[in-house]
Amino acid sequence: MSNVIKNPRNGCALHGALQTVQEIEGAVPVVHANAGCGVINYLANKTVGNGASRYSGFATPGTAVQERHVIFGGASRLREQIKNTIKVVNGDLYVILNSCESAMVGDDVDAMTREIVEQGEPVACTLIAGFNGGSHYGYEHVIYDILKSIDGVKKNEKSTDEKLINIFGIVPEKDPYWQGNLEEIRRIFAGVGLKANLFFGVYGGVNDLVNAKNAVASVVFSRWGELPAKLLKERFDVPYISVSSLPNLASDERELIEKVSEYAKIDPEVKESFLESEGRYERNYLSRIRDDIFEYDLGKRTLIVGDEEQVIRYGKLFKEVFGARVVGAVLTDALKKDEEHETDNTEILEAVAENIYITSDEKDIEDIIKRSRAQVVIGSSLEKRIAEKNNVSLLEFSYPIYHRAILNQTTVGVRGAVEFVSDYITAVKQAEKEKSQVLHDYLKQLKNQNSWQGHTSKKGQVKQINLVSELAARESI
Amino acid sequence: MAEKIGKHIAIYGKGGIGKSTTTSNISAALAEAGYRVIQIGCDPKSDSTNTLRGNNYLPTVLDSLREGNKIHLDDISVKGFGGVLCIESGGPVPGVGCAGRGINAAVNLLQELNLFEEFKPDYVLYDVLGDVVCGGFAVPIRDGITDRAYVVSSSDFMALYAANNLFKAINKYAPTGGAKLGGVIANSMKPGYHREIVDDFVAKTGTSIAGYVNRSLDVQQSELYGKTVIEAKPNSAQADIYRNLAKYIAENENLVVPNPLGSAELRDWARSWGDRIYDIENGVVNGLAEAI
Repeated sequence: MSNVIKNPRNGCALHGALQTVQEIEGAVPVVHANAGCGVINYLANKTVGNGASRYSGFATPGTAVQERHVIFGGASRLREQIKNTIKVVNGDLYVILNSCESAMVGDDVDAMTREIVEQGEPVACTLIAGFNGGSHYGYEHVIYDILKSIDGVKKNEKSTDEKLINIFGIVPEKDPYWQGNLEEIRRIFAGVGLKANLFFGVYGGVNDLVNAKNAVASVVFSRWGELPAKLLKERFDVPYISVSSLPNLASDERELIEKVSEYAKIDPEVKESFLESEGRYERNYLSRIRDDIFEYDLGKRTLIVGDEEQVIRYGKLFKEVFGARVVGAVLTDALKKDEEHETDNTEILEAVAENIYITSDEKDIEDIIKRSRAQVVIGSSLEKRIAEKNNVSLLEFSYPIYHRAILNQTTVGVRGAVEFVSDYITAVKQAEKEKSQVLHDYLKQLKNQNSWQGHTSKKGQVKQINLVSELAARESI
Repeated sequence: MAEKIGKHIAIYGKGGIGKSTTTSNISAALAEAGYRVIQIGCDPKSDSTNTLRGNNYLPTVLDSLREGNKIHLDDISVKGFGGVLCIESGGPVPGVGCAGRGINAAVNLLQELNLFEEFKPDYVLYDVLGDVVCGGFAVPIRDGITDRAYVVSSSDFMALYAANNLFKAINKYAPTGGAKLGGVIANSMKPGYHREIVDDFVAKTGTSIAGYVNRSLDVQQSELYGKTVIEAKPNSAQADIYRNLAKYIAENENLVVPNPLGSAELRDWARSWGDRIYDIENGVVNGLAEAI
């Protein structure tokens, strides 16, 4: 029986594949679908504030399939579109993205791709259709498909680079901080003398895809990076390390670097010196907030809504820095039944949060928040309404985040942790200020009117009385 | 939807079972009786109306649609024997595209072109490709396009299996305004147990027989001449069989929602007939007669 899902925050597999290819510098997506499939993804992501990549939105090459292409097949239309795209759009790699229509009609996209490749053009394709899964699935499978075929498109002899590490599992645009986070991962690896093969963002590009087989190891930061890492292991003997989340604290960074050092050559002195400086950085800033932790009672009941990786990362940070109780974790990217991945984070999640929920339904999430009696919610802009209604502080850190530009800001590594912690303290301080203001206004009113009656609505009155008693209780402590 | 002009009848059946032959002969018999008839072939092979129009070339609706030019009724229809208006929906080349969507588009286009208002038919026959393999092929029995469907079947299991599938589709769509079943046209009947098998099948599924059409050399011969039996051998007994069938279909108002058999039920039913046929062919005597 099907259910209604209110505001699901993830798109389809085509959307995931499209936003992944769009964020690889030099790669040009060619969408074999009706015009709406590509555009709706653009419109959805436009609100998030990551900015637009080079070939996105209305500038995305596509076949704009019409009814006659469904009836008679769209392969020749696709051929025309690939040729035209190659003529007018410069790219190092053209990636054909399949769609529901084309998959149902059975267009032979594979043969069309081979035909163009035989003509010497750098083209790859993915045969996944929108209905195969969500956007995280799209990310994982398009990278897998490109890595599977790129050897036949871009010749490159295998020559292992002892310093090169592939980075998988950070899904562009689904992690609102993906750009900054990739840059931070690069900084951490560079700190110990390693090179990160990021694929996406400022330092990524098509060359990273070509060189992926030359890496000394791959690091998989979420379940969604497992498939491409496994492929490289099977085909090119590139080992991979799976970690449950991106690093946040200096101890996480150390753990990560220690694991990587089993495969990559790292100068012990450089490693120690870098990790020591990371620790110093963290200690310095976190010790600055010790007064706030006690004054504002920052170890609050917390609920986290987001992708599994983010939930684990933010949960650990809140527990370790503030001693917070993570009363619930809502995983918006996980599958109730995941048979494709070996990654099983159940134990880690149970150690982080008291209750685990798997849903991306806004209504379910609102109910979970209401029931949890959480004081703080780390979530997306979709939780704003319920947070305001229940007088809960909301930290918007997971997808989607509206009305904020997020370009190179990061939430990982010690720098990300400090930024995250600062945002949290700011939110708590602002909430306190608003409460004080309400109390102040109320007392002023009382003074002026010297009466309980006729000055406010019943609802407002109750809220004010609650605040007065809360503040009075705190004063007495 | 505006009130329908004429009776719209869909004829289904497994590929190669004689749907087009039967439909064309029904059309010819109705035309001979003085009715205005349209026959629409809903099959990418586009050979439904061949025998009505002497195998002459007729551009299909979808061929015209593919060209993208403005389409006129005259471009996609031709009058055949007895003034039967012949139309072929056509479809993509085998192995490419979606024929189901093609039929959908062709039927929509015919409605847009005001075909029925212009021609004012008494009967419209839709000759639909084989099995109901997907939603597209159920279009003629959905959305109120036709209000009655017939299925052509021989006594072969696979033909009855296809008929049962059509029953499933009717069963699904009838409650929301889809067509009901007029009956089963028992085709390629030979002497022996063949009639009995089809009779048993219709009894099991709560349907009825619209007519029995015997296997006949006249049919084969007429087809080779590129004509219907009604045209090539108007005085033959076979022509009368088709005339009777056409009369039944024209007058029949006993439309039912069939009770299709479940997969296991159909298999068991077929198996029981398998045993009986073996006994008949090998002269095994069962029951009371055994004691003789």
